[in-house]
Amino acid sequence: MTVPVTSYLLVALILFCVGLYGALTKRNAVIVLLSIELMLNAVNLNLIAFAKFGLHPAITGQIFSLFTMTVAAAEVAVGIAVLIALYRNRETVNVDEMDTMKR
Amino acid sequence: MVNNTLLSLITFSPLLVIVVLMFTPKQMVGTIKTIGVLGTLLPLIMSLMLFAGFDYSAGLQFIERRDWIKIPIGLDQNGSLTFFPIRYEMGIDGASMPLLLLTAIIGTLAAVGSWQMKRRLREYFILYHLLLIGMFGVFSAQNLFLFFLFFELTLIPVYFLLGIWGYAERERAANKFLLYNGIGSAILLLAFIAIFVQLQTVNFGELQQVLTNPDDPLSGYLSPEYRYGLFVALFIAFGIKLPIFPFHSWMLNVHVQAPPPVVMIHSAILLKMGAYGLLRIGINFFPDQAYEFSVWLAVFGLINIFYGAVLATVQKDLKMVLAYSSISHMGMVLLGFAAMNSIGFQGAIFQLVSHGLISALLFFIVGVIWDRTGTSTITELGGIAKSMPFISGVFLAGALASLGLPGMSGFISEFLALMGLFGAMPLHAAIGAIGLIFTTIYVLRAVLRAVYGPTPSRLTRLADAQPMEAIPLVVLLGVIILIGIYPAVLSDPLQKTLDSIVPVVTGIGG
Amino acid sequence: MDTILHYAWLIPLFPLFAFIVLVSFGRQLRGGASSVGILAAALSCVLALVIGWQSYQGAASEKVLVEWMNIRDTVIRVGYEINSLNAMMLVIISVVSLLVQIYSKEYMRDDERVPVYYQYLSLFAFSMMALVLSPNLLQLYIFWELVGVCSFLLIGYHFSKPKAMLAAKKAFIVTRIGDVGLLIAIILLFWWTGSFEYSEIFKTVALGKMEPWMTTLTAVLIFVGAVGKSGQFPLHTWLPDAMEGPTPVSALIHAATMVAAGVYLVAATYPLFLDSQTALDIVAYTGGFTAIFAALIGLTQTDIKRVLAYSTISQLGYMMLALGVAGAIGYTAGVFHLFTHAFFKALLFLAAGSVIHAVHTQDLFQMGGLLKKMPVTGIAFLIGCLAIAGIPPFSGYWSKEEIISAVYSAQRADLLWIAVITVFLTSFYMFRLFFLTFTGKAVSQAISRAKDPSAVMRIPLLVLAVLAVLSGFLNMPFAPLLENWQLAGDVGESIHFAMPEAAELHAPWLSVVSVLVSLAGIVLAYLIYVKKAIAATWIARPLPWLYRLSNRAFYLDEIYRYGLAVPLRGIGMLLDLFDHYLIGGLVQLAVKLANGLGGLHARLQSGQMQTYGLIVLLGIVLLLIGITTQGGVSFGQ
Repeated sequence: MTVPVTSYLLVALILFCVGLYGALTKRNAVIVLLSIELMLNAVNLNLIAFAKFGLHPAITGQIFSLFTMTVAAAEVAVGIAVLIALYRNRETVNVDEMDTMKR
Repeated sequence: MVNNTLLSLITFSPLLVIVVLMFTPKQMVGTIKTIGVLGTLLPLIMSLMLFAGFDYSAGLQFIERRDWIKIPIGLDQNGSLTFFPIRYEMGIDGASMPLLLLTAIIGTLAAVGSWQMKRRLREYFILYHLLLIGMFGVFSAQNLFLFFLFFELTLIPVYFLLGIWGYAERERAANKFLLYNGIGSAILLLAFIAIFVQLQTVNFGELQQVLTNPDDPLSGYLSPEYRYGLFVALFIAFGIKLPIFPFHSWMLNVHVQAPPPVVMIHSAILLKMGAYGLLRIGINFFPDQAYEFSVWLAVFGLINIFYGAVLATVQKDLKMVLAYSSISHMGMVLLGFAAMNSIGFQGAIFQLVSHGLISALLFFIVGVIWDRTGTSTITELGGIAKSMPFISGVFLAGALASLGLPGMSGFISEFLALMGLFGAMPLHAAIGAIGLIFTTIYVLRAVLRAVYGPTPSRLTRLADAQPMEAIPLVVLLGVIILIGIYPAVLSDPLQKTLDSIVPVVTGIGG
Repeated sequence: MDTILHYAWLIPLFPLFAFIVLVSFGRQLRGGASSVGILAAALSCVLALVIGWQSYQGAASEKVLVEWMNIRDTVIRVGYEINSLNAMMLVIISVVSLLVQIYSKEYMRDDERVPVYYQYLSLFAFSMMALVLSPNLLQLYIFWELVGVCSFLLIGYHFSKPKAMLAAKKAFIVTRIGDVGLLIAIILLFWWTGSFEYSEIFKTVALGKMEPWMTTLTAVLIFVGAVGKSGQFPLHTWLPDAMEGPTPVSALIHAATMVAAGVYLVAATYPLFLDSQTALDIVAYTGGFTAIFAALIGLTQTDIKRVLAYSTISQLGYMMLALGVAGAIGYTAGVFHLFTHAFFKALLFLAAGSVIHAVHTQDLFQMGGLLKKMPVTGIAFLIGCLAIAGIPPFSGYWSKEEIISAVYSAQRADLLWIAVITVFLTSFYMFRLFFLTFTGKAVSQAISRAKDPSAVMRIPLLVLAVLAVLSGFLNMPFAPLLENWQLAGDVGESIHFAMPEAAELHAPWLSVVSVLVSLAGIVLAYLIYVKKAIAATWIARPLPWLYRLSNRAFYLDEIYRYGLAVPLRGIGMLLDLFDHYLIGGLVQLAVKLANGLGGLHARLQSGQMQTYGLIVLLGIVLLLIGITTQGGVSFGQ
């Protein structure tokens, strides 16, 4: 049985939209970070789907998604570190209170 | 063609000084000063070499052409990309050579004048040399792109030099400076883009070829109205720099607030870039339109002369007097341009050089007076000739040069500018000549009151010039007198260049 | 014939060299400074005398030119020219300059800035000599301005005195007004004749290539220059104030040489004037009016130097009058009077200087009885007075007589009246001056202690006194040596060309009348100030306003101040406000506008990262919608 490419894409879309919604609306920075991970994974899903069902199927897409995961892991590490540093200084993890650049 | 790299060397030699300064610890004040001052000798010596090697019988020379940037603009029939090349093009002719030399001389002397600077010397000299690069570049650039690049490059260091090392209201002055010049640059950029888009070239020589030759196929792309619009845009853009009434108020603030060496540079060179641009780009490319516009040039020139002169008679601050006098003197440049004949152009270029030297001299002295007395208000000064005979004597000589005393450079330039204008618009010229009386009035009023008359007791013990101060004064005065006595030193290199500007203009029937 | 005229260019170079030496080493030289100046002046004096003699002998005039500046096809040349007129001027300048420099050595002995003084004097001598040697108008203008600057520097020599400073400033500005006229004339002549050279200009004029109105205009503008420099009405106000300078300077610059430059200028460009009757009339009437106007003011001045200053103005007016009535005789008369006046006026000033040096006041009413104390000075002054009053056989008689007969020949009754009345006024105020200073009783301690100056000051006085007596014999009606000399050159030829019929009407009775009128003036002065037979106030009491009018120089200074200087300042103040508030205000408006726009923009930047994200999202969505409805984008082909 083969699952059609549209299903992959649909899942990815849903995942991306959930992530986007979270990133734009949640006040807790941790959740925002999680949501960003969701979006990245949606992209990964797309990459893998096209690696198999694309016009020129190749392994490149899968390798690329591996890279993305690595980078995402690093990014989360940095993100959390920044978050903790901020929390220590400002005692908050609320995104809408983080507007030092504007002040 | 063999590339001549001398101009590039002159232009970018300050870069070397900047690098050296960056690696000098900022505590080594003496070393920084020495490097900063001696560094300016590098371009000066090379400029003098250039002057010595200048071929009077040739027009554009010391040419350097290199490929630089390629902008893809589309596909040709074969499907391969076509590029528009922006080249790195430098060169110099009789009109820009005197100004380049002037820049080198003033650059060195103003650096000597910076000896008195006290704060943040390393940054000061780095910015100063950056400014030098911009000024040298403007006078040697041979295409619109480079010209604009260097023209803009001068803004940044001046902004900081003014904003950090200026007097009390320095930040305001710096902002005003940037605001005005930014507007001017924006207009300039638009005009340049318009020219480029229509004619597909930015090279000065090619542009002049295309624009002044009605048979050229590209020439038809620009209607006379379009050209007129471009000329007026250029007039406004460069007019802000010059400055032309009513765009002058930024320049007053700069003159009052900037530290003396920066004012020297500013009034001696930076203002001249406006006039140079107007001649090189405005009048050179659009002679017909300039001719049409020449009555307005004369009118603006007259307004400048009288507005500056009348206001200078009521100022209380010496710096303000000099600032308004710069406005007045730049009016004379416009009159020279308005004449649209070789005598007038020559007068205008003479006036650029002459005013550069004279205003540098006068501002330098005002700086020294400030250094000694802590004031530049005319009524608070007086009688300082008793204790500072040398400075006062040079000040008086400079003032006399400024009011156009024969035997000094100011006379030759004003005489030629007026003489040229008499050939074209006698009435305007006669009115302009009356301006000389006003010049006399304000110059004498300011100088005599500030320097002569009874000596107040608090001004009886002032030190006369130190060697570091005497050098610039003597050199400047010497050059002023040299040009006044033997003007051929400046006029001979000009002749060939005037040929390339004037026939086009006089061909119209002027 | 190898003439020494080839070396004429050396004459101005001696003082120039002295100037350079004094500028460079003046402070080290101190007392030696005067010697440097005097030596240079003596050298040029000798050379000038030799050249004057040769020129008088009929040596051909000489002209040498070198290129100075090119403006494409226009070549401007400089050089020098010797002809009879400027050879004569050279003699005057170098002689008076030498005598004044010798005199100054003693007069300025106690001054601290002697080197500076001699710098200025040498620079002046150089400029003045170079001025008369100039072969073209541009070069003349250059030195014309330079002598003006020297005059300015020397008037303001005592710079810590505010009065001296103001006088210097005034002199510069007022003469500058005239200079601008001259400058315009020079440029206009250039555009019409294509040259600055006198000879070229005269040629063009003689060929009738100039429009008559242009000839008139340029001649009048040249005359405006002369008016400024020679202190003619209405630009004369600077000259009396110029007396703030040291007295020897007044003798040299403001009596003998520089102020005569205006007369010289008109004489040098005379062919131009001959072509325009209007211009000549303007010259004649301005000269005549100035002569009588200044004489009227001179009547009531109380400062010894101011009286002399007004008499200088008046005499210069006389010269202009002579030039203006035209013809060979008018020209010679004007030039001749310039020649004699230089000597007797320098004499008067130097004598006055000796008096001031001795009594330390310039107020006439603080003096008196000085003849006994200072006999040499007194006699010298008397000779000067007799010369200026036109009493035979003193020099002034011959030149003045010639002017009057020139006016008579031209049949100008109005001008003749002016000339004769001025003769009366002149002799009256000069002898008023003499009697008040030298006769009567000493009124103060200083006067009783006064004595004749030392030899250094006496010798120039004596030489000038001799010249004031003798110089008139150069041109007596029956032996017109000067006339023959002066009319030998190009200018003379063109005068004969322009006025072939300028026959002189000889009227011996006129000479008698003018001498009688002059004697009447002296007698009146004697009756009032020595015999006291007539009260000095016999006019002033019934008509006080008349006295005040004369004493205050017809309020011309005040008129200029309130009519020109104050309004100018007012306009300046108004414009300053305009500049500050309107233009500055516009700038402020622009700044506010920019700030406002920026503020508006800033409000979009909430600092909320999530809002930005939302906006980006919306942007992408819009972009996608756009692309989709437009049919998509094709990449590559």
